Amino acid sequence: MDKFGKSQPVKRVEDIRLLVGQGRYVDDIAPVDALHAYVFRSPVAHARITELDVRDAVDVPGVHAVITASDLDKAGLDTGMAFSSAPMRDGSKAPRPKRPILAEDRVRFVGEAVAVIIAEDLNAAKDASELIVFDYDELPVHMALQTGGPALHAEVPDNCAFDYGLGDEVATAKAFETAAHVVKLDVSDNRVIVNSLEPRGCFAEVVEGRLHLSFGGQGVWGMKGELARVLHLDPADIRVTNPDVGGGFGMKGMAYPEYFVTAFAARQLGRPIRWMSDRTEAMLSDNAGRDLTSCAEMAFDENHRILGYRLHTLSNLGAYNSQFAQMIQSHLFSRVLTGVYDIPAAYMRCEGIYTNTTQVDAYRGAGRPEAIYLIERVMDRAAREFGIDPQALRRINFIRPDQFPYPTIPGETYDVGDFDRVLTRAETEADLAGFDGRRAVSKAHGKLRGIGLCYYIESILGAPDEDVKVDFTDDGGAIIYVGTQSNGQGHETVFAQFLADQTGIPVDRIEVVQGDSDQIERGGGTGGSRSVTVQTNVTLLAVANMVSGFAGFLAEQAGVDAADVSFDDESFRITGSNVTPTMLEVAQMAREAGRSDLLTWKATAKLPGRSFPNGAHFCEVEIDPATGATHVEKYTVVDDFGNLINPMLAEGQVHGGVAQGLGQALSERVVFDDEGQLLTATFMDYAMPRADTMPMIRFETEAVPSTTNPMGMKGCGEAGTVGAMAAVANAVQDALWAHGVKQADMPFTPQRVWEMLKDAGHKP
Amino acid sequence: MYSFEVERPTSVADAAAALGKDEAQALGGGQTLIPTLKQRLASPSVLVSLAGIADIKGVSVDGGTVTIGGGTTHGVVAAEAGAYPALAALAGNIGDPAVRNRGTIGGSLANNDPSACYPSAALASGATIVTNSREIAADDYFQGLFETALEEGEIVISVKFPIPEAASYQKFEQPASRFALVGVYVAKFADGVRVAVTGASEGGVYRWSEAEAALSGNFSADALDGLTVSGDDMISDLHGSGDYRAHLVKVMTKRAVAAAS
Repeated sequence: MDKFGKSQPVKRVEDIRLLVGQGRYVDDIAPVDALHAYVFRSPVAHARITELDVRDAVDVPGVHAVITASDLDKAGLDTGMAFSSAPMRDGSKAPRPKRPILAEDRVRFVGEAVAVIIAEDLNAAKDASELIVFDYDELPVHMALQTGGPALHAEVPDNCAFDYGLGDEVATAKAFETAAHVVKLDVSDNRVIVNSLEPRGCFAEVVEGRLHLSFGGQGVWGMKGELARVLHLDPADIRVTNPDVGGGFGMKGMAYPEYFVTAFAARQLGRPIRWMSDRTEAMLSDNAGRDLTSCAEMAFDENHRILGYRLHTLSNLGAYNSQFAQMIQSHLFSRVLTGVYDIPAAYMRCEGIYTNTTQVDAYRGAGRPEAIYLIERVMDRAAREFGIDPQALRRINFIRPDQFPYPTIPGETYDVGDFDRVLTRAETEADLAGFDGRRAVSKAHGKLRGIGLCYYIESILGAPDEDVKVDFTDDGGAIIYVGTQSNGQGHETVFAQFLADQTGIPVDRIEVVQGDSDQIERGGGTGGSRSVTVQTNVTLLAVANMVSGFAGFLAEQAGVDAADVSFDDESFRITGSNVTPTMLEVAQMAREAGRSDLLTWKATAKLPGRSFPNGAHFCEVEIDPATGATHVEKYTVVDDFGNLINPMLAEGQVHGGVAQGLGQALSERVVFDDEGQLLTATFMDYAMPRADTMPMIRFETEAVPSTTNPMGMKGCGEAGTVGAMAAVANAVQDALWAHGVKQADMPFTPQRVWEMLKDAGHKP
Repeated sequence: MYSFEVERPTSVADAAAALGKDEAQALGGGQTLIPTLKQRLASPSVLVSLAGIADIKGVSVDGGTVTIGGGTTHGVVAAEAGAYPALAALAGNIGDPAVRNRGTIGGSLANNDPSACYPSAALASGATIVTNSREIAADDYFQGLFETALEEGEIVISVKFPIPEAASYQKFEQPASRFALVGVYVAKFADGVRVAVTGASEGGVYRWSEAEAALSGNFSADALDGLTVSGDDMISDLHGSGDYRAHLVKVMTKRAVAAAS
């Protein structure tokens, strides 16, 4: 028996399968006889369509169909894509411009899906694509992140999708009137293209009269509901599955047009259909991340205590509302608006702007990295302006341990935290004391060294409730059905590990099943760093039911009181008996006794409250002033994730999160030209972080267990990204400040850093 | 990718004959051509793969000259051209291992990408490009962006590099592609210094004659202090303005001199 033991750094059981090419990604498992779908996309950013003639394309040998908006319309698929609306400051309802599945009378960004060719093979589909007659009158584009300009949607003449507000505007204004100091900063947060290793893809088939859609996603139930709504189907006639998924990062959490058209075509043609995005297509059509600018102001008293905080953000939505887009820089951002600080008054305003660009939606952290990036930039700037130590300024303003539970202005309640303790540990781990020496060494080599701190806090989001089912199988094992969805994080390991810990069932006898709406009635998928907390929370309940059910059964069998049967995480003990059956053995006894009611355990549970992981990131950069090249030399993270199930997997999440934060900070830069053409549409121009970008990361934890779930856990999936952006930016600012650069904004590409120095009059 | 025929000749003569066909295209390591085909940006009717021609592969040293077959991969040059360390180092830092195991020197020189590394080595070394019909001095070979002296169907058989007394190639990489945003190759010979710049100019690889003159009198980074480089004719794109590239030309030249000294 291979037993993990609690909170052990167990290696991932799925890795061998994935590393040797045995993963089952959507493009690996499409039916062999599936036809190929290929999307004809808009080559221009804004135009009125004057002609869309697909007759020649349909005639290409091997082509089965070319689907356009008019085909969808004729079949009644005319409702458009779903999206949520942010609440308006003034209580009004903002217009809800339709996001069509395929372009109707207009195209509004380069890459918008116009037609879908269904053919025997991809080459035939591409040949047909070249024969589509697509004529249009170009319209002026709106690329600037500001209201006004050429309108994308007739019902939104100023391109302002929503105007959201949160907090007490009057009280905040008063705080600024009495302030001894006001620090003001404009901060931009650059757009990134998500670039999951596995691009998006799907296949659809009709099996025994029911539609089956398989796609690389973050959960199956939302997509199932959307298919039912758009295709006017009974949900009972739909099965949705997620096979292995190579990274989602929020980007795969939404429905996309291709999935609906693929499903529609499979039903129309009675053939399985497969669609897989290529890389440039992904860059053009996957929801992007971030892309906002904010003007932030912070008011302080004479002792550098914060009196008030206010900000005004402009959030780029792209051309249409993606599913959750309006909520990201408004409601989700606001969850951690005030960070880890005791701030008496705050007000945020956020306007969503339509532009002729690809949609923008959730990206790892979804609003919370953006909020923390902003406040931590402001805190860093304030410390510089006051001429005091950045750690000291934070300590003056931290929420103190005795203030918990702490109700925040946006309406969250931080349950626990000990920010000073975590920061103190981080200062030690980062060898802050040795920084001056390291800076002197860099200087001797002609390099500029800087150090930056980000003290972040995260609010675990996503649905707080989750289901679980555990089946004891005839072959003597157990299957756990989960409502979350691994995108590569290691759920197979963690959920098996947790069930093994709690029940003593050997881990190699546990199978984890996820991502199948036929096998699992409902679930919340992956997102918001929710998975491990919600899934283990409900698993605990199922295990408790299982233990009491089995105990009752054993008592019955032995003729004793149920109270005389106990379970010690390994085996049952019965007073007066030397029989100590394991969970699997009791299941076998129940099976033999015909008690099938004891072989399946279901539970539903809701987390009593959110958890708030937090921690300190220290980043040290070295800049070559002659070239502007910036390199991260040292990186330290001390996190308070509460109790951990598997420290190794948690650390892996931090590594990946930091990599994405560093990527955005150092190299990931999306560039559109004035006509709305994406110039960074391949990896030749879009710079992802690579192995040589990454420092070795020192990772330590300083646990203050959460009080809002029985495990004392806090989510960890997004935290690395939340902390990384400001840590890097503050480090670059620190390196450049003494050389006259007073404002250093991401991304820190060599040319941009060189220009910052040049503009500040630096002579290398 | 559009459909095409593939020919796999094993001799230069057969390759030259195959390249005489209508819309035929030579295929070296395919590191530029294959992605171009995949994007349907080219539609040759025949691809003539040079990979099967043993005669145009390998590295040999004869006195003061290293000769590299046109079909030799970057990986082989990196491993076997130790007689000319700066050249081997350049080859070992092109792309990544997958690129170096496929890409060839002949393919690189025939394509003459303005951001490629090899053209600067050939030009700064005063190399000779040997084809199936003639020998071309590097000074005559490079004729602008993606333009060379090669005629239709002409094949790079080998490249002869005179080995300098000292040399260094310094590349500042474009962050995404890792091609040279600016690369400078400095080679010091008994009769003078040659400096070739890649990645920077709208005219493709070029010799920086002012630097050559300054360094021929005084082979030290300080000798370049008084020189200025104009950004006017430099490539300007999202990774670097003309001024930035001009600035980097001087920085990288100084670093190359320092590394070679």
